[in-house]
Amino acid sequence: MPRHIKPAEIAVTFLSGRRLRIYSLLGLAAALVVVIAVATSIGSVKIPLSTTFRILLDRLPLVDIHQTWPSSIATIILEIRLPRVILAGLVGAALSIAGATYQGLFRNPLADPYLIGVAQGASVGAIIGFLLPTAWNIAGFGLIPLLAFIGAILATVVVYLLARVGKTLPVTTLILSGVALSALLSSIASYLIISSGNKMHGIIFWLMGSFSMSRWSEVGIVLPYVAVGTAVIIVFARLLNVMQLDEEQAQQLGVNVERYKILLLAAATLITAASVSFVGTIGFVGIIIPHAVRLVWGADHRFLLPLAVLTGAIFMILTDLISRTVLAPTEIPIGVITAVCGAPFFLYLLRRRKKAIF
Amino acid sequence: MKNTLKKIAIFCLAAAVFTGLLASCGKTLESTTAASPTVITDQLGRAVTLATNAPQRIISLAPSNTEILFALGLGDRVVGVTDFDNYPPEVKTKPSVGGYSTPNIEEVIAMNPDLVLATEVHQAAVIPQLESQRITVVALSPQTLDDVLASITLVGKATGKVKEAVKLTAAMQQRINSVTNKTGKLSPEMKPRVFYIIWNDPLMTAGAGTFIDELINKAGGINIAGDLTSYPTISLENVLTANPQVIIAGAGMGEGEDLPYQYATTESRLQGTDARRNDRVYSVNTDIIGRPGPRIVDALEDFLADIHPELRDQP
Repeated sequence: MPRHIKPAEIAVTFLSGRRLRIYSLLGLAAALVVVIAVATSIGSVKIPLSTTFRILLDRLPLVDIHQTWPSSIATIILEIRLPRVILAGLVGAALSIAGATYQGLFRNPLADPYLIGVAQGASVGAIIGFLLPTAWNIAGFGLIPLLAFIGAILATVVVYLLARVGKTLPVTTLILSGVALSALLSSIASYLIISSGNKMHGIIFWLMGSFSMSRWSEVGIVLPYVAVGTAVIIVFARLLNVMQLDEEQAQQLGVNVERYKILLLAAATLITAASVSFVGTIGFVGIIIPHAVRLVWGADHRFLLPLAVLTGAIFMILTDLISRTVLAPTEIPIGVITAVCGAPFFLYLLRRRKKAIF
Repeated sequence: MKNTLKKIAIFCLAAAVFTGLLASCGKTLESTTAASPTVITDQLGRAVTLATNAPQRIISLAPSNTEILFALGLGDRVVGVTDFDNYPPEVKTKPSVGGYSTPNIEEVIAMNPDLVLATEVHQAAVIPQLESQRITVVALSPQTLDDVLASITLVGKATGKVKEAVKLTAAMQQRINSVTNKTGKLSPEMKPRVFYIIWNDPLMTAGAGTFIDELINKAGGINIAGDLTSYPTISLENVLTANPQVIIAGAGMGEGEDLPYQYATTESRLQGTDARRNDRVYSVNTDIIGRPGPRIVDALEDFLADIHPELRDQP
């Protein structure tokens, strides 16, 4: 049940205070740039830092550096690592802000971006894509992400329609119908997988989630969704603060909770669906990052949301870096790394606070 | 609460007693079968007492096993195969006992086989279940080309087709020798770097200890993933750095399995590799290369034709 306290009272943390949080935002933005550069220069193939920076600078307008590197090195930096790092950052940002939004909307600390069927819908869509004749596919790209996206959106629309009670959208029925539909969809997915014969391994790999095949065209598709969705959510951050109050109280304050609830839900769902469609279901990030940010900087959504975007992007780029370098040239599934790195850190923060946080 | 627990306990006990009864039933029913003294050691190192030296009702639990049985002229004695069997074509008329790693045990028992040919994937669950029903199970688990020949010899012994097995393995050995005689003389710099694509997303290849690695080496190539083991994922940047001169990708005969080959020919980031520049991207039938049966020699000859086209027609 929602607690009757003002957001200001929740926000007693390490780095509360308006100025500190603004500095933190700027610091994290700078850190993100550094992390992108570092992650692009490290990989299973050793490329000197100076070469990496010269290749990157050469691509900037008005800078022309004499090419002293083999063209395969340029391909590795510009066509393999950079799109991968950017896509990881986008997905990390998307899952984190979507998680924060769901947690705020549902006033439930266990909410994650996959709570209302996005992941299961995407999985069923992607599996159908695998089962269709290959002729419909162009080298495996295009159809599967498209069907995954459609599946994710359809699943949440169905959950939304099931959860509606008259003109309102009670949070409890939304969560329950999400859980129920997710269970149904995952059993459909299991059935499709066991009857998929030779295509089974491809499906299983897709479901495990990976950035290994990232390319610029994928960045180009995911970016607009994440940018617009994130902007919409941040603009309405203040409303999420109001929604932490009882819904009735919020109504009394003159906020049309229902309308904004749907808008925020749609934005969070769209950015989750766009990420899941290309990289599969990556767990943990959407639940752990918002909580970590809340523990450090407080629960005021005006700061929580942008801080979660930056922290999520940095976290995902670093975990992907670990997943592709530790056992190089082999890769560890990203989900393993997000859990192994995220859980201890989160537990540390939790123990250090020793207070109810939500 | 306590009542519920009690009920659960009683139910479990009843289930256990019932299973015990069933098991003892099976034993009494089977006791009439006369056991033959012939004992062979299968490829899992198990000593197997054969029920008969000339089995008439054989079930194959793997497509490769089926191909060996048909090659030894035992096609008409095969009474059950898996869902994945598709070679030789007449196998499609044979009844299926289910999936490869998940055969339907009831179905297998109901067919009353006098020999079941299994593989290592059946070791933990399937083989003990079948043997508890007094069904003779011989497991094949070849890891190398030599093992494939040995597995054919083993099937010959278990089915009374020793002569046929000797003939088949001699012919296969001769074809293998003809390839290795040609490639054995090559100096290391005459061997092209080969990249084999098992799967495209994530990019998976075959390392040391696999049939594919052995075939690449025997066909006179250098596997760029030879320092890895088993079937690892490999990052595209390592592939670009290794700059393969030949790319071979899996492509099935049926629809839907040629994604690796499509990937190998269209991935823009592989454009700079020698293989793509010189148009040396080839496909192989994954059914042939993935099944340690008689056709593995076809795969070896395909590899030679792809890796050393100039050697193919040499005597």
